[in-house]
Amino acid sequence: MSAFALYVLLLKATATSFAGMGSLPQIRQDLVVTAHAITDEQLSQAVLVGRSTPGPVGAYVVAVGYFAGGVRGAIAGLLAVMTPALAAVPLLVLMRRWLHVPRVRAAVDAVVMASAALLVVSVLRMANDGIQQFARVVGWM
Amino acid sequence: MSVRRLAWVVLRDVNRTLGGGIASMELLRRSAAKEGWFDERGHAVLTAVSRLTPGTNVLAYCVGLGWLVRGWIGAIVALIASSVPAAVFIAALAATLVRIDRYPIVRVIIAVGVLAATVLVASSAWHLMRPYLNRQSASRAAIIAGVVAAMSWLDVTPVRIFLVCAAIGALIGMPADAEAPAADS
Repeated sequence: MSAFALYVLLLKATATSFAGMGSLPQIRQDLVVTAHAITDEQLSQAVLVGRSTPGPVGAYVVAVGYFAGGVRGAIAGLLAVMTPALAAVPLLVLMRRWLHVPRVRAAVDAVVMASAALLVVSVLRMANDGIQQFARVVGWM
Repeated sequence: MSVRRLAWVVLRDVNRTLGGGIASMELLRRSAAKEGWFDERGHAVLTAVSRLTPGTNVLAYCVGLGWLVRGWIGAIVALIASSVPAAVFIAALAATLVRIDRYPIVRVIIAVGVLAATVLVASSAWHLMRPYLNRQSASRAAIIAGVVAAMSWLDVTPVRIFLVCAAIGALIGMPADAEAPAADS
């Protein structure tokens, strides 16, 4: 997979989530299930690496990019994490005009709730994978 | 206010916390108050904007902070200062992990670490959902959770799930007197 294609897929995940780990379900769908660019185990390792270091939680996408495409993949991951943040400026300008509209706030809240619920689904899959991996390692030793 | 000072404050405050975006934003709020960049209201506006911006909340917060302090140059500098150091560290750690993955003791540590990461993701989900688990929002949260569970079971992609949930949220509307809750990271 080219670095640009990886960037597009990772950007799709980061730009449609509203929290650092919120991109996890989409990344799994695109890179593990559809493209087979990384495995579930590598995705879990990327989360582990991302959460083991200081800094933004969403930067785990850099590790995902590295596992999928080496250094170029890591750069693609970094750019995918950085790009959506630039939307903060126009939002800052628009916010005073629209955020007081209850239905707009309700729609945003619903997306945040959906993001949390999808994370729970991911947790169940990660837990299953983690337990299997642990059992394999223990059995192997 | 110099761009160099802005870059240093953002780099220092964002890249020294393990507790996610809320911890970093709190440090940035204190620094911004000390530097005279904005007051409590400015912090509240930036927090709300960071929640509305797709992606990682704390990066959006930094972009907004940089833009308020020094315009677009400030926004870009703050974005780089908040993301690049952590990214370099993470890439180096990932590269190391790939090289030492074959050793048994490393595989045991990784296996335990993956289980720990599962708990961390569960924690992120909890922090995201917790502000909505009150009497005013519980029914909305239950409906959204039910819709997500059903659509996930049907293998609907996350983007479509978000769109459907946004539409449902807009249709249901906000409970009276509801305040925007704080979000994770």
